Amino acid sequence: MIVPVGVILGLSAVLFGIGVFGFLARRNIILMLISIEVMLNAVNLSLAGFSRYFTDLRGQILALFVIAVAAAEVGVGLGLVIALNRNQPGARVADLTKLKW
Amino acid sequence: MLTATFYYMAFASVASALLAVTRKNPVHAMLWVLALFLHMAGIFLLLGAEFLAAVQVIVYAGAILIFYLFVVMLLDLPDEEAGPRFGQHWPLAAAAALGFAGFAWLARLSTGVAPADPPPAAAGPQGSLPAVGMALFGPFALPFEMASLVLLVAIIGTVVLARRRSAGQ
Repeated sequence: MIVPVGVILGLSAVLFGIGVFGFLARRNIILMLISIEVMLNAVNLSLAGFSRYFTDLRGQILALFVIAVAAAEVGVGLGLVIALNRNQPGARVADLTKLKW
Repeated sequence: MLTATFYYMAFASVASALLAVTRKNPVHAMLWVLALFLHMAGIFLLLGAEFLAAVQVIVYAGAILIFYLFVVMLLDLPDEEAGPRFGQHWPLAAAAALGFAGFAWLARLSTGVAPADPPPAAAGPQGSLPAVGMALFGPFALPFEMASLVLLVAIIGTVVLARRRSAGQ
């Protein structure tokens, strides 16, 4: 192991925090979704670190499933963005105050 | 040498993540996220997860990010750079993020389980493609199939959501 597992988990925590900040602070739906990707990547990093630490392949398998679910989430999320943009141009969450058009 | 490479990757990924969540221009943010994904793939390589690194580059940097860029360019957000980059509540968001990262940082220090830090040498090429494939199609066959089902549902859902309504509906 080239670095202790604590370093990897710390890096993962920092990246997750950055993702949380981006999700909460940005007002653009697309950038909020990309912040979710940053968070998922941080989780994948900690899974890979655990997989290395315990020499157990299951962490990597779980990370692969996380990537698959992230792909599905991106598809549905961006489909929603396109559908919303058809009714009202722009991608600002502050504009999305109506329940029905 | 490998340790120095890891620390370079770590600092570069943190820096590109910070730049990604703070850039006003969405395309610039996407490109910084691309840098983050590529550095993360490098970290996966250093951790011995070669297949995960390849999937990271192909799926994340290749497919998902191109999808994001495609939607950003399709929507054409010209007034994005005019407004403020964060909402007015961003100090609260920063506090929440710091709190969460702090909790994770503290949790990292309390290692409940302590396996042998130098892993047993018999582990072998545990991140290699044959091992991952045998695990995916062996004990993890059912979750694998469920992942493909999730992706199928996502495809159908996206088509239904983004479909252009015809005049009759």
